[in-house]
Amino acid sequence: MKLSKQFRELTAVNEVSFRVNKGEIFGLLGENGAGKTTTLRMLATMLQPTSGTAALAGFDLVTQPEQVRSCIGILFGGESGLYDRLTAEENIAYFGRLNNMREKQLRERIRELTHIFNMGEYICRKAGKLSKGMKQKVAFARSIVHNPDIMLFDEPTTGLDVSAIRNVHEFIMDCKSQGKTIILSSHTMSEVEKLCDRIGFIHKGRLVAQGSIEELQEQHQGKALEDIFVELAGENK
Amino acid sequence: MKLKHVWIVFKKEVKDIARDKRTLITNLFIPIILMPLLFALMGGGMEKMEEDIENITIALTAQSDTDEIHSLLENEIFAGYPNIKLNGSVEDPVEAVRQGEARFVLEVESNYADLLEQGKTYAITVHYDQSDTKSAGSLGILAQAIEDYSRKQVEKRLAAMNIDLEILRPVEIVHVNTADEKKSGNIMIMMMLPMLAAVLIAVGGIPAATDLVAGEKERGTFEPLLTTQAGRMSILFGKYLTVTLFAFVSVISQLIGITIGSTISPSFFTMANPGGEAGFFMPVGALLLSILTVIALGMVFAAIQLAISTIARSFKEAQTYLSFLIFIAMVPSYATMMMQPDDLQLYMFFVPLLNAIASLKMSLGGVINYTYLTIGLGTSLVYVILSLMLAAWMFNREKFLFRN
Repeated sequence: MKLSKQFRELTAVNEVSFRVNKGEIFGLLGENGAGKTTTLRMLATMLQPTSGTAALAGFDLVTQPEQVRSCIGILFGGESGLYDRLTAEENIAYFGRLNNMREKQLRERIRELTHIFNMGEYICRKAGKLSKGMKQKVAFARSIVHNPDIMLFDEPTTGLDVSAIRNVHEFIMDCKSQGKTIILSSHTMSEVEKLCDRIGFIHKGRLVAQGSIEELQEQHQGKALEDIFVELAGENK
Repeated sequence: MKLKHVWIVFKKEVKDIARDKRTLITNLFIPIILMPLLFALMGGGMEKMEEDIENITIALTAQSDTDEIHSLLENEIFAGYPNIKLNGSVEDPVEAVRQGEARFVLEVESNYADLLEQGKTYAITVHYDQSDTKSAGSLGILAQAIEDYSRKQVEKRLAAMNIDLEILRPVEIVHVNTADEKKSGNIMIMMMLPMLAAVLIAVGGIPAATDLVAGEKERGTFEPLLTTQAGRMSILFGKYLTVTLFAFVSVISQLIGITIGSTISPSFFTMANPGGEAGFFMPVGALLLSILTVIALGMVFAAIQLAISTIARSFKEAQTYLSFLIFIAMVPSYATMMMQPDDLQLYMFFVPLLNAIASLKMSLGGVINYTYLTIGLGTSLVYVILSLMLAAWMFNREKFLFRN
């Protein structure tokens, strides 16, 4: 797909190509500023690629952005990004409606998600009054309200405490168990090792290596993932 | 752009802002409470000032504090002025006026009766403080009273010499005020309303515009929103309608406040013409054209505010940038405040912002030129389209949307 993004003089993403199979978790591993978020933003059609394109669930992100958005869900790291003055239910419903869900279908889906994430106690409470953990669950529910086939996770555990990180990991594995295709960006080796089926090392906008953990270790004399990353980063200075 | 998505965004934003107590208090309740209070204080203050100016208490110098001078002042000079009263005497007239012990201190020449008898001039010295508004205001009344007395003495002297008074008055000025009594009462409204409308419209949408883009960026809700199936133009228009709506909610609540205020204290609007009636006297056509022009101005401001909010990295940055809009609105508003409808020039109806102010002023002033008003509306609609194009262009630019 040779996806590239140029910001004036800076090449943030340089001809990145990878394939993610259905039901697989693909990890984009790289340092801060390596181009992970820019790649995910392009895949989510928020940014227009300078050159190249990609197909998500068969839709081209340059020529069919709306169709692409219909089959992706996205979860960002850090703050959960909810509307504090809306209730948890209204937050979820807003995104469902903007994703063209019918009212009846939406009501049923919210009921289902309320049950899955055990949000019954606070679903009618304003988001601003919820605890961090509750907000996180609402954000999970919001990202999958329209039941997307593909999930994009952009450094989803950044700034979270241990139990919140655990919740995110469980959510990602749940998505996988439902057959969703997942792309996860992270700079945490252990997270990627724990969750991903395949990994792509991104460094200074270039995808310098990709494969399963076993494949990568095999190519680098059985070294640990961290050492492989350091080695690859050194080669591509 | 899909209308369904525009409507979803609009409904959500209205609900969200309507639940924000700060915005509601700032945009809705404070104007309704503050305006009447302001009018009551200003109107009441002005009424009190007028009353104080009319009720004059004067003191005499110690030398002038005699029964004869008392009689002269009370029975002759101020006989026709029941609001002017004598109140004691002072040793140092300058100090007494400076210290506010007396508004005026009068000193009458002690041999005034002899001088009057001899047909000569005698002096009445009036000590007053020009820097004191009441003292300066009352001086005219006092001078008028002395002038009337002086004229009567001239008449007596001329009559004694068998000379007709007319000889001293070869020309008489006859004043005929052709202004409609009601229209005169409209002057204050004509001065204030266009200025208030322009500034309030510029300010009204700022809280909503700040919250709807820069606020969303800061809270981290903006990026998930962009990944929904709603296109960017649908999101922008939903937000645009919300900002426009809240700008007008703010203006309407201010106008309600002004109406309540003018009912409580009508003297505020008639102070330019005491005794005149306050009210709006516009032909329906002019009223309609002016209202449409003002609505268009609100739409232009809403689009510009959203464009600015799009550029801003944070809520605070947006507030800083948007506050400049108030100054931009204030410059033409204050520059034309004292302008009369006759002074309005054709070019004013082409200039953004100025065209809405000029249209309102023209309609309120009652000197209607429908060609000018139509030009004002036409140019305003062009500016609505241009400002929307600017907002749409910025909303589609990655470098503005993802500046942080």
